[in-house]
Amino acid sequence: MSDTAAAHEAPTSTGIDHKKLIMWLFLASDCMFFGTLISTHLLYRKLFPAGFTDAEGHQRFIQNLFNIELTSFSTFILLMSSFLMALAVSAMHKGQIKSFRRNVLGVIFFGVIFLGCQVYEFTHFYHEGLTIQNSVLGSTFYVLTGTHGTHVAIGVLWLIMMYFYSFTGKLGGHMGALDVEIAGLYWHFVDIVWIIIFTAVYLVEYLGPNGIWGTGLPAVAK
Amino acid sequence: MSHDSHHAPVACKTELAPERSDLGLIRPDRATGWIDWLTTVDHKKIGILYGAFAMFYFLVGGVEALAIRTQLARPDNDFVTARMYNQLFTMHGTTMIFLGVMPLSAAFFNFLVPLQIGARDVAFPRLNAFSLWTFVFGAFVLNASWFFEFAHLAGWFNSFEWHKALVYTDFAPANGWFSYAPLSGTFGQNGQALRFTGVGTDFWIIGIQVLGIASLAASFNFICTIINMRAKGMTMMRLPVFTWMTLVTAVLIILAFPAITVALIELMFDRTFGANFFNPSAGGQPVLWQHLFWIFGHPEVYILVLPAMGIVSEVLPTFSGKSLFGYPIIVFSGAVIGFLGFAVWSHHMFTTGLGPVPTAAFSLLTMAIAVPTGVKIFNWLGTIWGGRIRFTPPMVLALGFIWMFMCGGFSGVMHSAAPADSQQQDSYFVIAHFHYVLLGGVLLGLMAGLYFWFPKIFGRMPNAPIAYIASGLVILGFNVAFGPMHYLGLAGQPRRTHTYHAGNGWEQWNYVATIGAYILGIGVALAFVNLVWTAFRGKKCSNDPWDGRTLEWSLPSPVPEYNFAQAPIVATRDAFFEDKHGSKRIGSEPDGGEAGVHMPSQSWMPLVASAGFLFIGFGMPMMAMGIPHAGWMVIGGLGVLFLGIWLWALEGPGGYMLKTPVNRDAPVPTETAAH
Repeated sequence: MSDTAAAHEAPTSTGIDHKKLIMWLFLASDCMFFGTLISTHLLYRKLFPAGFTDAEGHQRFIQNLFNIELTSFSTFILLMSSFLMALAVSAMHKGQIKSFRRNVLGVIFFGVIFLGCQVYEFTHFYHEGLTIQNSVLGSTFYVLTGTHGTHVAIGVLWLIMMYFYSFTGKLGGHMGALDVEIAGLYWHFVDIVWIIIFTAVYLVEYLGPNGIWGTGLPAVAK
Repeated sequence: MSHDSHHAPVACKTELAPERSDLGLIRPDRATGWIDWLTTVDHKKIGILYGAFAMFYFLVGGVEALAIRTQLARPDNDFVTARMYNQLFTMHGTTMIFLGVMPLSAAFFNFLVPLQIGARDVAFPRLNAFSLWTFVFGAFVLNASWFFEFAHLAGWFNSFEWHKALVYTDFAPANGWFSYAPLSGTFGQNGQALRFTGVGTDFWIIGIQVLGIASLAASFNFICTIINMRAKGMTMMRLPVFTWMTLVTAVLIILAFPAITVALIELMFDRTFGANFFNPSAGGQPVLWQHLFWIFGHPEVYILVLPAMGIVSEVLPTFSGKSLFGYPIIVFSGAVIGFLGFAVWSHHMFTTGLGPVPTAAFSLLTMAIAVPTGVKIFNWLGTIWGGRIRFTPPMVLALGFIWMFMCGGFSGVMHSAAPADSQQQDSYFVIAHFHYVLLGGVLLGLMAGLYFWFPKIFGRMPNAPIAYIASGLVILGFNVAFGPMHYLGLAGQPRRTHTYHAGNGWEQWNYVATIGAYILGIGVALAFVNLVWTAFRGKKCSNDPWDGRTLEWSLPSPVPEYNFAQAPIVATRDAFFEDKHGSKRIGSEPDGGEAGVHMPSQSWMPLVASAGFLFIGFGMPMMAMGIPHAGWMVIGGLGVLFLGIWLWALEGPGGYMLKTPVNRDAPVPTETAAH
């Protein structure tokens, strides 16, 4: 489904396919996008290390809220989905369409588990009293992780369509492998971004006796 | 694969048999007239459409500017209300930057880049059409706010319940082009989201967001095209300078626009969903908006000016009969400007109290960025030095560019000194400075480009005497309008203030500035009338009326849809000039022949996908207004966008083969020259 059907006859100046190059460019741009969101969150964490006040007027610390075991689990799942994605790309390059389908189904499954965890987490946090409206922390947390979740959801949709498209027989050969590889680039990128978010938003809160920002509860809170 | 089922090659696309896409829909390949323009994927037609829309919005922004100047002609004037004045200067700035200069630059990118690098199209023709229509719909949404404002003033909304709930009713944006928080944001605790400004701000947020998507998509496409689709022998250091500046501009766009995208998302969450990013009552930091805005906003300045610099770097060598002086230095200084452009944003914020160290650092970097700009000026002077100068309208405008841009640069260096800047902040001195840069620099550069390439685009030559008169009026009017503002600013007149009292010593020069603005307006209008008339009725001219230097001049005017009948092989910089006057010929690749040239199929899908932004664009402000069920309009818009992209992916690229005249009569050299 390349716009440059003549790509076979006319190789590109760099030897990199247009579609792969434009995906790398998009990812460069997306780095700045997430960079801005993550900076916003960290900046406000530094300014307001104390957390937020819930509807009952209780002061709450972010470590009370996090279920770090659950988030670690979903992070692990997302990492493993990247592994399966790499297998799917490799299968496609070898022309093993059945292996591709199996692996991509695994990626989709893991992606959905991750999204499910996020939905659970959001609902849980909301009931615990953190809303997008009641604090700056709520605003930055939900918008940052929600934007990442949207990226995952788009990736899942993309892969689902690719999975069904593979049954039409049109997803094959060199161009088909390239399309899968590009989806893989996107998926791995989204995964890497999550590793950064998991570190910057979740893990660092447990550094030091009072959390990295100086106030807050001991890391063993809960 | 679908594109194996190509038609037999045809001489003209109207001879094509109807072809169905992979979805079973008939492709609009054979279409002529308005369907052809709506579904075109031809970079030249897309460029012309960009140019036409940009010129229209230049006039809209110009009318807004004249209204501003009319209001300020006299002290204590009441030509417009204070509220209307706020809307006028906001929309003037936004329109000129996002709907005037950027699309006009995009028009040149589209038309010229593939021709200058010896390509048949851009890397992603349908994505290119998507960029165009997304820009068109974004511009429409932004300007539709004026209709809401006028309907409100006429009292049409008075009977609606939701209207009574609105306390602040600016329907057109009224925050200034940078929409500083907290004015653009909210106040109040726990998601009350009380707003200082009306729904105009919501129109502005979504409008800029959509325009940003258009710019991003176009930039991905152009970087890809320039890096990947160069003709054989067209190494990076043989690229025409305009193409180089396009590349730098596109890189700036893809790295700078995400910052404003995030800032707009955050502001939108504040206003629509009660978030607290910039809400001071809940701890939000309005100054964060300033940082995010200027991290985008300062590179944006170079996004505006670099294409014009590229144009001037093409025009000056052509009419000096010399190659560009110091080509590598020009290219590198362009890249350095792009790089440093990300490191100077806080010089817009010296008065926010950054502290001595950041202020000194940003001061220093701002002074540093003047160096590569100055280098370019000297290179241009070196280019015309000792040349055989021919005075033509584009050359006059390009020379004007050097002068006027230099004046803007001088006052810019003055701003880099933080103590001086604190005095000039928010005064007319700043207005004078950036209008010298953006009007004396960018507009003159773009006008030079229009007069330079119009004969290539339409095969018709603009009327030279009228062009000289228009150029003279523009340069004269512009200096009369903005020269006095230096004085007014230093004498203390604040910007963004709808009137002033008599007795401050500002009356005389404000009156002069208004006269200058009208002269400028007449000049620009005359130039545009001249150009539009040329496009349809102008005198036919030869393919190479200026003795051009780059590949586009080697093609017939107007350029055929396949651009190059045979892909060129380039052996040197200024390949066409060398081909004519030097020893190195342009070679050609042995393709085409009986099989013809592969052309991409036309498509409705980019237009369909972009149309989703129309619904999103109207839905979001209506949601912020509290109109019931408006959220469904946004979801519907997202659905249309998704559907368009989905059908686009599934319809297959298609394509057809076009016979080129080379097969029949070919005076094109077929032997390749030195490598």
